[in-house]
Amino acid sequence: MPSDIAAAAPAAPTAPPGPLTAFWRAFRENRGAVAGLIVVVTILLVAIFAGVIAPHDPIEQYKGFTKLPPFWAEGSDPRFLLGTDAVGRDMLSRLMYGARVSLFIGIAVMAVSMVFGIALGLVAAFFGGIVDVLIIRIMDLVMAIPSLVLAILIIAIIGPNLTNTIIAVTIVGLPRYVRLVRASALTELTKDYVTAAKVAGVRPWRLMTVSVLPNCLAPLIVQAALGLSDAILEAAGLGFLGLGAQPPTPEWGAMLADTRDLMMSHPWVMAFPGLSILTTVLAINLMGDGLRDALDPRLRRS
Amino acid sequence: MIRFLLKRLALTLPTFFALMFVTFVMIRLVPGDPIEVRRGERGISPERLEQLRHEMGLDQPIWKQFVDYVWAILHGDFGTSIVSKTPILHEFATLFPATLELTFCAMIFAIVLGIPAGVIAASRRGGVYDQSLMGLALTGYSMPIFWWGLILILVMSNTLHLTPVSGRVDLIKFYYEPVTNFMLIDSLLSGQKGAFWDALHHLILPTIVLGTVPLAVIARMTRSAMLEVLEEDYVRTAKAKGLSTYRIIGVHALRNALIPVVTVIGLQIGGLLAGAVLTETIFSWPGVGKWLVESIGRRDYPALQGGIMLISTVVIMVNLIVDLLYGLINPRIRHAK
Repeated sequence: MPSDIAAAAPAAPTAPPGPLTAFWRAFRENRGAVAGLIVVVTILLVAIFAGVIAPHDPIEQYKGFTKLPPFWAEGSDPRFLLGTDAVGRDMLSRLMYGARVSLFIGIAVMAVSMVFGIALGLVAAFFGGIVDVLIIRIMDLVMAIPSLVLAILIIAIIGPNLTNTIIAVTIVGLPRYVRLVRASALTELTKDYVTAAKVAGVRPWRLMTVSVLPNCLAPLIVQAALGLSDAILEAAGLGFLGLGAQPPTPEWGAMLADTRDLMMSHPWVMAFPGLSILTTVLAINLMGDGLRDALDPRLRRS
Repeated sequence: MIRFLLKRLALTLPTFFALMFVTFVMIRLVPGDPIEVRRGERGISPERLEQLRHEMGLDQPIWKQFVDYVWAILHGDFGTSIVSKTPILHEFATLFPATLELTFCAMIFAIVLGIPAGVIAASRRGGVYDQSLMGLALTGYSMPIFWWGLILILVMSNTLHLTPVSGRVDLIKFYYEPVTNFMLIDSLLSGQKGAFWDALHHLILPTIVLGTVPLAVIARMTRSAMLEVLEEDYVRTAKAKGLSTYRIIGVHALRNALIPVVTVIGLQIGGLLAGAVLTETIFSWPGVGKWLVESIGRRDYPALQGGIMLISTVVIMVNLIVDLLYGLINPRIRHAK
């Protein structure tokens, strides 16, 4: 993008910055957002390289090393930095692989929701009439049923496992994507450039995807970030209820549920998975807030 | 106003019918038939099995079951629980107050702390108060509440012994017949000394846990609404008139900032009534959320169907009321067609 290069060069401060540069400048100003981004990238790297950096196999049970405390507490073992759980599995390794599970669920839900949300939202906005009414009514219906109850019901039908967690959480969260895409597309459709494109003979498919969709992306990106953290929380909740990823998969929510009996005597076994969920979700939300401020021109400080 | 109300009500009707259809279909998709589930436990003769299936109408063709179901609901009959043998409506009516009581307290907690927090943050934009309050709010918003509940139990109940771990009232110390099923009211009506305080004590942790996310949402919403309002001309006029900051923020700005906040509160109530599942599970709170989850495990079709229908109806109604209230406090949209 030539405008980016021009904006980056200090010699041409008057040239309007390209959209990416402008976005990055606005985003960079928000320290919280940058911190969130750094944490998210770190967790992502841990998740990707869990197989290399994790000191132990996350599901291997070390007999005789059960319920070890973390390294700073008395009676710890340097081979198990964050201690071990009730059956002697290494906490640190389980947390690292857990990042993989949680982020995978979150990103998968986000990706599938984006695809279906964009498709259904655009179709509803473009075709209107009965198609629109039908789609919006179905989305209203999904929203009328309590989200966690609906997710649990879906899991009860299709069975508890990782893939089905993704399906359930996607269905529950989809209405927000669809409504958002539809609303922004409807706003865009009233604008002159759409009329111009229509007059110029642009076909509906091209109009939808090439002309209108890019202009709906800003709110959608923000929704995707918030949707990512929601999905991780919701999946952890399902895991906690025993309806998510099944043991011995190191899923943070399920790890928490395992520790309920140990909670009094060995509180750290409970502390770490919860802290991991909180840190991840918080970092994503910080980033999401930064994205929103940077992408929403009304709030952008000039 | 009446026309607006009727129109909105009419719009919810198709949703109800669709809801009936969806719950009916979905529940039949859940693998395992309720009779089989129970036969596994005790062993029933084939004749008895047929008889039970007949009693519950499970031997009828599926479309007939659906028509019967809709017909019964239209007559206020939501079916009978297979497990407890009591009518769903009755069961719901005894459990719902527990959820309602918890939701109400959580909402009060969230509003009483959330609105002032938002106002303080907005009036000191960018300052230490603003940053720390909003940092806390974002943390609350990101909190896995099932973990938050466990932490609170660990610290408050098991270490400091300040609050009870679970339930609504200490059943060993206090016993009284439920009148309203609202424990705070029933404990007062019972006249037993200390019962009310005990019930209140039981409410503290679940209230905090359930109220944390709405508290964060309300604080964030109040702040951004206030920031928007504080830039309006009438606030500048008020400043120019020499009104005190307290009066400007408390009277002129807050009133107008509350409009979006009320909407958010309404949406949160709907979500809370429904989303108390995790909180109720952690604290063994005998409410609707816990009951629904347990019904899934028990394959109690009628309880699930009726329960989801009823709770969704409540959510739809709450959202409708919020819409109407919105028109009431914001005259600009009242007469919009």
